[in-house]
Amino acid sequence: MLVREIMKSPVTTIAPETTLLEACKLLQAQGIRHLPVMESGRLVGVITDRDVRFATSALCPSPHAATDSVKCAMSPSPLTADPGDPIEDVARIMREKKIGCLPVVEGGLIIGIITNMDLLDAILMLTGVHDPTGRLEVALPDVPGELARLTTFLSHRNVNIRSILTYPNGQGLIHTVLRVDSNQTPLLAKALREEDFTVLWPVQKPWLR
Amino acid sequence: MATVIFHPEYRRYDFGPDHPFTPARLTILTDLLASLGHPVNPVEPAIATREDILAVHDEAFVATVEALDRGETVTDADSYGLGTPDNPIFPGMDEAARWLVGGTLYGARLIADGAEKRVLQLGGGLHHAACARAAGFCLYNDLAVAIREFVSRGWYVAYLDLDLHHGDGVQSLFYNSDKVLTISLHESGYYLYPGTGHIHELGSGSGRGMKINIPLEPFTEGREYLEAFDAVIPQALSWFSPAVLVVQGGADAHFADPMGDLALTTRTYQALYKRILDLAERHTQGRVLFTLGGGYSSAVVPRVWALLYLTLMDLPVPERLPAEWMKKWAAELGPGMTPTLHDPDPPYPPFAGGEERRRRNQTTVSRLLDSVSRYWY
Repeated sequence: MLVREIMKSPVTTIAPETTLLEACKLLQAQGIRHLPVMESGRLVGVITDRDVRFATSALCPSPHAATDSVKCAMSPSPLTADPGDPIEDVARIMREKKIGCLPVVEGGLIIGIITNMDLLDAILMLTGVHDPTGRLEVALPDVPGELARLTTFLSHRNVNIRSILTYPNGQGLIHTVLRVDSNQTPLLAKALREEDFTVLWPVQKPWLR
Repeated sequence: MATVIFHPEYRRYDFGPDHPFTPARLTILTDLLASLGHPVNPVEPAIATREDILAVHDEAFVATVEALDRGETVTDADSYGLGTPDNPIFPGMDEAARWLVGGTLYGARLIADGAEKRVLQLGGGLHHAACARAAGFCLYNDLAVAIREFVSRGWYVAYLDLDLHHGDGVQSLFYNSDKVLTISLHESGYYLYPGTGHIHELGSGSGRGMKINIPLEPFTEGREYLEAFDAVIPQALSWFSPAVLVVQGGADAHFADPMGDLALTTRTYQALYKRILDLAERHTQGRVLFTLGGGYSSAVVPRVWALLYLTLMDLPVPERLPAEWMKKWAAELGPGMTPTLHDPDPPYPPFAGGEERRRRNQTTVSRLLDSVSRYWY
């Protein structure tokens, strides 16, 4: 999944000479938290709702007036993302630097913005339920062909797979979560066990174990 | 006493011998009632018309069902949820589904016309069917058509879904309606089909706060189920003041059902049915329309639905099952069949995890009440 698939575009920007009051109004009116600061078409900073509030707060060691310019409270020379970057790279940068957004720049032009909310949306898209589906969880050996064996099993039963998530379970197995287009996951689980798959969900009823 | 609705044509809603949603369930049930000395004396409904179906379903979807029914090749059947393992295509499926809708709609009209207060539709409950999609064994949404009939007459409707699975189709068809309160108790969608039915699905627009979901942990037992029911449903109905209750009476939340992981017993079901009749007395002058629904164990479903029938008809509940009935259906009922109408007591050996399940279910209910109560009163 690439940045261009989940970034927000067009992006609302602000000029460095704008007042903090105007910036605050703009952020509130649009319900956003981040404004790239643009000077003569060039990205020179990012100002956030928190920057505005802190700069004008009595808690700030050298507080600014609401009429002061955005330039005095923005973060200069911000990190940026390329539209072709994978979102996991963006997530890593934002996590390491503890920042909430990256302006997306292509050929020197700002074309969008990606925020931590967009990354949460991506998680929801990857893990969420978009169609009526049932859940199967299978622990697969970490060797070639095991996932193929599982998907072939489902294919032979004409069961459509809507999503697959995998992660290492820490014991050398791959925890594989499938959402399948079927109400009959307990019956599929039974058949999978008969084919020697390690099915983690659905489980056998506890009083039958 | 209740009016019972049934038509032999219901049995045509049949996806084939290997499919769990088999009409044999109905045959075994009606035969059990007859053997108990209560032969079902049903009112026969008319088949629902195409226009009745279009009250809730997309025209292109209905046209696709009809085309597949005629044996035509349709390239995008899958996008309508048709021709899947859950909803295989079979000849006559359009009419078969319209018979089921017709029965539920007929029940709604009996109540709306003031001719009857308590109705049991011995079929239907196809709660997964969405506007333009068949899903989870459900082709046309008979419940939604019946609810639409009430709403078209200006009635406020409370829909109560007892099925193991979330009543996603009915919820989505009335998601922004302030005339319809939907309440679904089900095994959590995190684990079970269809994956929805979270507490934060509260409705939209003027229907906000009128869609209630109680997702329960796998292996939740009857006592906790009833606790959750008591914590939410009476106050929801008291706030909403519906004119009628529509109840999807799926029996698959029973502990022995092969399709899921809730652990209700026949005694839980009997307690539920009594509670629902009491709530109907209190809030809807007794007006309640029950349908059937999911339920996939032949050893369970006839007993649970016989309890439903006996409770609605104010008949006594016998202790033992008729020997000749057990003999006749021995193959379907399977080995180890209890000779009693109720489950054995105790129904299953105790199992671990009760405290954690209870804590999680209680958290679910209190979070739900926290978020809906701001829309109530």
